[in-house]
Parts: sequence; C-alpha cells; structure tokens
Amino acid sequence: MKDVLIIVLKRLGLGLITLFVISILIFGAVELLPGDIAEAVLGQGATEENVAAMRKQLGLDRPAPVRYLDWLSGAVVGDFGNSLVSGSNVSEVIAPRFANTLFLAAYAAVIAVPLAIILGVIVALLRNSVFDRVANVLTLTSISSPEFFLGYILILYLSVKTGYFPAIAKLSSDMSLLEVLHRTFLPALTMVLVVMAHMMRMTRAAIINLLASPYIEMARLKGTPAWKVIVKHALPNAWAPIINVVALNLAYLITGVVLVEVVFVYPGIGQLLVDAVTKRDFPVVQACCLVFAATFILLNLAADVGSILTNPRLRHPK
Amino acid sequence: MDYFVLGYYTLLIGASCLAAYYQQRPIFMLLFSITLVSFVMGIIGGKEALWTTTVVAASIGLAAGTSYGFREFLINISGRETQKMLRTAPLTASFGMFIIFTYAIMGIFAPVIAPYGEAEVIGGAFDPPDENMLLGADQLGRDMFSRIVYGARNTVGLALMATGAAFVMGAMAGMLAAVKGGWFDQLMGRTADVIMSVPSLIFALLLLSIFGTNLTVLVVIVAVIYAPRVFRLTRAVAGNVVVMDYIEAAKLRGEGTWYLIRKEILPNSTAPLIAEFGLEFCFVFLLLAGLSFLGLGIQPPTADWGSMVRENATLISFGEITPLIPAAAIALLTVAVNFVVDWMLYRSSGLKT
Repeated sequence: MKDVLIIVLKRLGLGLITLFVISILIFGAVELLPGDIAEAVLGQGATEENVAAMRKQLGLDRPAPVRYLDWLSGAVVGDFGNSLVSGSNVSEVIAPRFANTLFLAAYAAVIAVPLAIILGVIVALLRNSVFDRVANVLTLTSISSPEFFLGYILILYLSVKTGYFPAIAKLSSDMSLLEVLHRTFLPALTMVLVVMAHMMRMTRAAIINLLASPYIEMARLKGTPAWKVIVKHALPNAWAPIINVVALNLAYLITGVVLVEVVFVYPGIGQLLVDAVTKRDFPVVQACCLVFAATFILLNLAADVGSILTNPRLRHPK
Repeated sequence: MDYFVLGYYTLLIGASCLAAYYQQRPIFMLLFSITLVSFVMGIIGGKEALWTTTVVAASIGLAAGTSYGFREFLINISGRETQKMLRTAPLTASFGMFIIFTYAIMGIFAPVIAPYGEAEVIGGAFDPPDENMLLGADQLGRDMFSRIVYGARNTVGLALMATGAAFVMGAMAGMLAAVKGGWFDQLMGRTADVIMSVPSLIFALLLLSIFGTNLTVLVVIVAVIYAPRVFRLTRAVAGNVVVMDYIEAAKLRGEGTWYLIRKEILPNSTAPLIAEFGLEFCFVFLLLAGLSFLGLGIQPPTADWGSMVRENATLISFGEITPLIPAAAIALLTVAVNFVVDWMLYRSSGLKT
C-alpha cells in the first residue's frame, strides 16, 4: 500500500506543478496586453491622469513578478481581488455561481454515467450488429453537434411545443429541490446527450479491447458461461479504462458547460466568464480560468489515480 | 384509426415479415424494433409521432440512396486503386463525402448560388418565407438563405485556415522533435502538456479577452490551442519512423534534418496525419462555432453560422425552426467529416473487431 501512496503523491505533485505553470500562463497572458490593463479598460478617450490614477489603484506601478506573487498568494486563499467593472469582490461573485455549475454537472453526471456504461457494455457485446451500427451513427451525430444545437432542439420540442419543461433555467433561493431539478432538467439533458455519447463510445472501445485479449478467449474455451466471463474476468480489468472515461468526461462536463449555460441563461460560472470576457473584466476572467483549469486538472488527476488503484500493473512503472 | 396509421403498420409489419422469411436477420430486427417503438410512440404522441417517424425514415432512406449513388459515381470516375478502396467504403462514409462535396461547392460558388448579398437588407425583421426569400428574413431583414450560403464560405473557410495553421505548427514541431530529440523534444513536449491541460474553450476565451476579436487573432489562438494535439500524434508517429534503418542510412549519407523530414518521415506518416486532420477540423470547427455563438468569433455583418444562431434565437420561443438551420448546418458538416474519418481510422488501424 505504501508504494501506491508514493505514486499518488507524485501524481499530486505533478498536478500542482502544472497548476502553478498555468497560473503563470493566465497571469502572463494579461501582461501581454498591448499597453496595460488601465489603458485597455479606460479606452482611448482617457486622460493621462485617469490612466495614472487607475494604474496606482491597481498597483500596476510595481513590477510584474511582484504583482504575480501577490495575486497568487491571494488566489491560494480564495482572494482574487475586485472586479474592474462592478468593483465587487471576485470570490464572492464566483463562489455561488461555481456551486451552481457543479450542481448542474453533478445532475448531468448522475444520469449520464450509469446509463452510458450500461449502454456501452451492451453495445460492445452486440458489436457489429444492427444496433451497434445505429448506436455508432447516433453517438457520432451527438458528439458532432454543437451544444447549442442540441440545447435549442430540446427547447423547441420539450419546452415551446409541449411545455413540459421551462426553457430558461433561472434559479431563486426559495425553490424546493424538486423544483430546481425540474427547472434545470433541459440544460442537464443537453449535457447528458453530449457526454453520454462520448462515454458510450469509449466504454465500448475499452470493453472490445478487453474481450479480444487471450485470457478472455481462454475463459471462454474452458466453458465459462458468458455472464461469468464478463463479471469475473472482463469487468475487474475494465474498471481502469472505465474510471478513466468517467473522469475525463466529468472534466468535459465542467468546462463544456459554458455554452449550455449561455443557451439556458443558467447562473453558472461559464456565463460569468463569457460576460467578463465581453466586458474585458480581467480579474474575473483570470479567476474563472484558474477555477476551470484547477477543476480540469483535478479530474484528470482523479482519472490517473483511479486507474493506478484499480490496475496493479501500473503501480510498478518500468 | 385512419388510413395512414393502417398503412403505416401494414407496411412495417409486412416488410419485417418479408425480411424474416428471406432470413435477413439484421433487417428484420431493425424493422421490428421500429414497429415496437412505434406502438409506444403512437400511444403517447398519436398520429403526429408516427408521421414524424415516417418523415425521418424517408429522409434516412433518401440519404442512403444518395450516398449509394454518390459512391457508385465516385467508383466510376476514379482510377483502379482508388476504386478498390472506395468499394469497401460504408454508406456513412460516402454520405460524408457527398456532404463535404456539397459544402465545398456551396462555399466556392457562394456569390453565384446566393440570390442576395450577405449584408443586403431585403425585407422587414423576421419576415416569413415567401417567393423572394426561401427561408425568410433574419433579425435585420436580410435573406436567411443567402447568409447560410455565404456562411459556408466564411465559417468553414476560417476553420480550415485555423486547422491548417495548427497542423503546420504541430506537425513541424512534432517531426523536428522526433528527429532532434534531447532538450528540444523535452521542451516541446512539456509545453504541449501545459497547453493541453487547460480546457480549449476556456483558453480561447482568456486569450480573446486580451487580444480582442479579429480574424488573425482567432486563427492564431486556435492554432496555438490545437497544435499540441497534432504535435503529440506526429511525435508518436514520427518517433516510430525515426528508428527505421532507412533513416539511419539517410543520416549516414549525410542528409540534413529538413531532407529527412520532407523525404523520409512525411511520406511514411501521411495516413494517420490525414485522419488527424479531419478530427482536428471537427474540433476547431466546433470551437469556432461556439465562440461565434458567444459573440466572440467572426464579427457582423459577415455571415457566420454560429452568430446567426445567436442572433435569431428569439424565434425559437415562437416555435420557429429557422435559427436551428445554421446550427444544423454546423452539425451536418461535423458529422460528415466524422463519418469519413471514422472509416479512414478503421481502414488504417485494421481493427476488425
């Protein structure tokens, strides 16, 4: 068990280093701005004094590395400074919205993950049949469609024409959980469609790969019943790829949510990011990007750790 | 029970019985599942649902017929080697090729096909379709159909340019890294790791917020974001080629790096690279469409499918499908490219499972 711990810690360290480099990237990108933030925000008509005052207020008179360390030490404890547009504290704006986004992603994941894995295994067992072909075409179509296309189709048919679900996922604090689930069903369903297709294809590929290996052949030849081959021989080895698939798709859920949130006017962090980008509100953009990147890295890390834990061979890298 | 419903079930059940009689098991399974699904749908959705199923089935049939015809057409006009390859193409692949072909024609001859200019105001806002405007007017009274045709040129053209740029950057870096090895390889590899660990849409938004939105910036940003993926693949493919004996021989002959890349490595890694180009194009196309949808891509008045969806989205709440047409155009092209790539990957990997 000790060697597993060391590998997990190593992976964690690597993730932290990546995050550190990304924080430099996110901070440095803004430094690349032609002129500086003060000029960009105030625009061409600003007087020399105004710009100077803004620089002073933002602390731009200090060298970049100092400001970076300042920003980073703030970011670590969750303080991202103040918004340039509204002047409010960035963390206070982001926190509830990030919670909303996580809620939506979790909602979609709870539906998509079991469904995708079960369907993926079924399709893998029925490979090269008509159903496999149909599933292949359907999943490819779903992956290829932009999220807003799926979203608007769902709005058109499940909201406008039939009125089963609301088209706009506005939330307020006094809603019951059931009501919230009903409200956010369409955005969740949109993400389920996209993510499920990905997961199904990857699960299918993983299972087919496994079923082609010699020990499965051996199990079959010695007369093990089909269900036992799957449950006792294939599944224990399939966990690693499946965990990988799930974690990668959760990462996709968290980030692919941006477009879905805009379509359904859902108060999540993705919409905040898009608004901030149009308004060129840099502290908010930086904070959102860092949050997204950290989540993405964390889930990728989880994928790695999960596959190491379920596959003893990976514990002894050559 | 009217004649349509009766005819519908008679046809389906009759066809599945025929299929069963002639031992066409897959066709029977498909037809009979459709029958069973229709029972459920008919009870819930009534005649409407059955009608939709018929329309969908008919359009799938039409698409299959077109793809079959197009494949035969391609086989007839191509040379012997290509013929052999094309005969193995599944219908989905030839459907994909047909769609790509149509889009190419639409993009290249846009000014000839489109009845009006892309920024020309013809009627009132959101005018319904009439004999002048095939699909009606958009939010400023411009002809929707003309804008979709021009969109093929603008949207696809930009995506192709960005993919091309990403590809040249990634492939060159990948092959150089494979040939040179050492610190260059390490440096490129780590840079690619970092760029790939930020989600692409988020990275694009960050960079766009800084550099503002114009076409050059868009192309460069997308190229930078997607080059690492190409780099990784090229590095892996070229890495397998570099260890071959003929590379050793060329090195001993005294050939330079550039010669090695151009004459030895590139010809031996084209197949996976072409498939990757298709995949990459899909990603880039979807990313650019997403950015335009957010209002951060190609700027008006240039016609662009992503922004057209956004601008006309209000129509959805009146039950109109017009805003879905540009979105469907995006989806259709991506599906088409994916179908072709799927077939190419299947061929090159030799995975027969």
